[in-house]
Amino acid sequence: MTVTAEKLVKKFPGVRALDEATLRLAPGSVHALLGENGAGKSTLIKIMTGVLRPDGGRIVLADGGEAHFGGPHDAQRAGIGVVHQERNLIPAFSVAENIALPAVPQRFGFVDRAAARALAKRCLAQLKVQLDVDRPVSTLSVAQTQLVEIAKALAVDSQVLLLDEPTASLTSDEADRLFTVMRELRDQGHAIVLVSHKLDEVFAIADTVTVLRDGRSVAEAQPLADLDHDEIVNLMVGRAHAVLELARTPVDRTATPALELDGIGTADGHEDVSLAVRPGEIVGLYGLVGAGRSELARAVLGLDKITAGTVRIRGEQARIRDVGEALRRYRIGYVTENRKEEGVFLTQPISRNIAVTVWRRLARAGLVRERDENSLVATYRERLGMRLSGPAQLAGELSGGNQQKVSLAKWLAADCDILVIDEPTVGIDVRTKAAFHELIVGLAADGLAILLISSDLPEMVTLADRVLVMRDHRLVGEVDNDHDYDRTSQEVGRLLHQAR
Amino acid sequence: MRRRIWADPRLGLLVVIVVLVAVFTALRPAFLDVDLTIVPIQSDLTVFVVVGLAQLAVLSLGHMNLAVGRMAAVSAFAAGWAYDKLAVPLVVGLLIGLAVGALVGAAAGWTIAATGVNSFVVTLALDFALIGLVSLLYSTFSDGVAFHVAPAGMDILRGDTFADYCAGDLCGPPIPLVVPIALVAALAVGVFFRNSRLGREILMTGSNLQAARLSGIPTSRRIIQAHTLSGLLAALAGFLLAVTNGAFSADIGGSFLLPSFLGPVLGGTLLAGGAVSVLGTVFGAALTEVIQTGLNLLQFEVEKFKIYIGIVLLVALSLDRLRQVLAERRKQEVPRVPEPVEQKEGVA
Repeated sequence: MTVTAEKLVKKFPGVRALDEATLRLAPGSVHALLGENGAGKSTLIKIMTGVLRPDGGRIVLADGGEAHFGGPHDAQRAGIGVVHQERNLIPAFSVAENIALPAVPQRFGFVDRAAARALAKRCLAQLKVQLDVDRPVSTLSVAQTQLVEIAKALAVDSQVLLLDEPTASLTSDEADRLFTVMRELRDQGHAIVLVSHKLDEVFAIADTVTVLRDGRSVAEAQPLADLDHDEIVNLMVGRAHAVLELARTPVDRTATPALELDGIGTADGHEDVSLAVRPGEIVGLYGLVGAGRSELARAVLGLDKITAGTVRIRGEQARIRDVGEALRRYRIGYVTENRKEEGVFLTQPISRNIAVTVWRRLARAGLVRERDENSLVATYRERLGMRLSGPAQLAGELSGGNQQKVSLAKWLAADCDILVIDEPTVGIDVRTKAAFHELIVGLAADGLAILLISSDLPEMVTLADRVLVMRDHRLVGEVDNDHDYDRTSQEVGRLLHQAR
Repeated sequence: MRRRIWADPRLGLLVVIVVLVAVFTALRPAFLDVDLTIVPIQSDLTVFVVVGLAQLAVLSLGHMNLAVGRMAAVSAFAAGWAYDKLAVPLVVGLLIGLAVGALVGAAAGWTIAATGVNSFVVTLALDFALIGLVSLLYSTFSDGVAFHVAPAGMDILRGDTFADYCAGDLCGPPIPLVVPIALVAALAVGVFFRNSRLGREILMTGSNLQAARLSGIPTSRRIIQAHTLSGLLAALAGFLLAVTNGAFSADIGGSFLLPSFLGPVLGGTLLAGGAVSVLGTVFGAALTEVIQTGLNLLQFEVEKFKIYIGIVLLVALSLDRLRQVLAERRKQEVPRVPEPVEQKEGVA
């Protein structure tokens, strides 16, 4: 189905979120929608799916008629389906029930289970996916739930399918499988829109591309074959994108490690994990999703049980029972990977989000003065380059990158000198990501010891001094990083996939 | 910040209160009679503000305390028993009552923190157990269902207003002596949640338990502390009601549950936790009290009275909800920051 969004305009007070943006979708193609955070991608998707109404422009459907979506249901009925970043399935329901949910088959007013299961099976078969339709969705992996969401969109016969950051939390194997499904759907004649920050996957799967910048479409449905990586980045950021060469201070490898694990085993299944991070050093911990990297960090912080081995902090043996002790006694901070769920308090002001770790220090006779908090905010706003309207702004109103900075700031405020940073730039746009990398390198230069967990290999190569590779809860090797992407990535890949 | 004021539920409450007072006064001029209405309304309000604060203490966590009335009853029993059997001074009995309330609250908090069972279930079960315990205690230790005791000072606290105290020709305002107790409690709870580390950490725990734990807040301890505070305030409310009634009886706290939620919720405290409004709770309790007194003056029969008060409160709550939805909608359409381009996707 051909769908064209022509010269869409969406105004919010003080800003044109969309300024005559055009998106042309053709059946049988994968169309990449690119742009930095704030370029207008989300707004465009919301208009296409009936969540927002445009202030100008129009959406033209295949039959030449103009679409006026009063709400998401209208868009769905017109054949436009969307798979959001947030999972929108009901965990306690089965796969079949979730797939059939938008149009529940009924018999005599009761749910026709047999028909629902048949529908689910048909949709999954269309994706060439094997999945037990009676399994509750809560037992599925992230990748599987995503496939169920796509099947759900197919159940209402979506001819246009919008996928918002579908691979954000998938391993590369899972992402490959998703791409196979996307190609399958393309070959069946669906129009697929892929919103992604990962250019590699865009080049791997997309046929055409639309790039948004400041609400305008600066490339409209161009064949991807005509463009290369740098040209796309230039279109997105609007200026030649300087490759980030970060100056690193050499690490004194004879210094006492700030954090040292020796033969650590955990209740989660880690065995004989030994590593050391020295002041000023960034040690990368690389591995596939599920290899046990975050779980190791959690065990070190006392959130999970350590069953064997010793932890030494600045040369002294340590037993850490909870995060409070890790923070106050050992000055270890943990920047979590789930920033919305665990990193920030979305409904609280930024000042409290940052000061939460240091109220003990700020309090005079048990009372905290807002003035002290606000000066703390001012310090880190400057140091981390946060964009906010003021200390009283709620953290939930910030962009992902700024939320991540808030999540980092609370540990810096607490004077941590060991930081475990878990997936710092997931879902963050190119420019903010580069700023974040500079920031992390700057922290190391200030003498912090940093254990960096990341599934983003270019990020690892940019930042880490050494890369440790974890597989199935064990360390399988170490690569000295000379910041030569090809050599280091090959070495890491070899460790990751070598036969046991 | 202008939008914040528009969205502030307390402003709306104040307007509704003023309008209702005007309406009731027009219908029954006695509504502004000092002895008939103004003084009793203040005494009642004193109790219900403290009851509201007791509920607010755990609403901060997103929890509930359904045993708020029975915690008051147990504490009132303890105080009454101390006056009757030990003949302790007024203040000592109050302290004993507060200690018992705090202890029962702590037990509820500990159970919730240790088992992870929903506070609704825990306090409901506790309430049920305490109903039995309270009547058992009174039948065992008193000569029936109440201690009719009057330690020195209680009658003064009960009957006097500041108008009874004069310096020369200058007398105080017609405010009952118990009112400052509620004011001090409200002020203390307000400062606790706004400025103290403990109160803020409780709010953070209520806002996002997991993030609080990962920020180094001892969340289990904070849960226990919030419930302890709730028990303590329930005990204070029980004591104030006993003073107003002139007896420490088994039925104290029986009418606490609904008002305990009405005050805070009308005042803008979220059931979800993470935010409380003490001033809102005072206004919310005042609104409830004005409605009740007004309908009373208009001489509704008891049964009709209950129907009407239920309806009036439902309407008030619905209007408040409507106001919230409108405010929410405004907020969504108006990005707060001057450079909204940056923050838009974060909200989405």
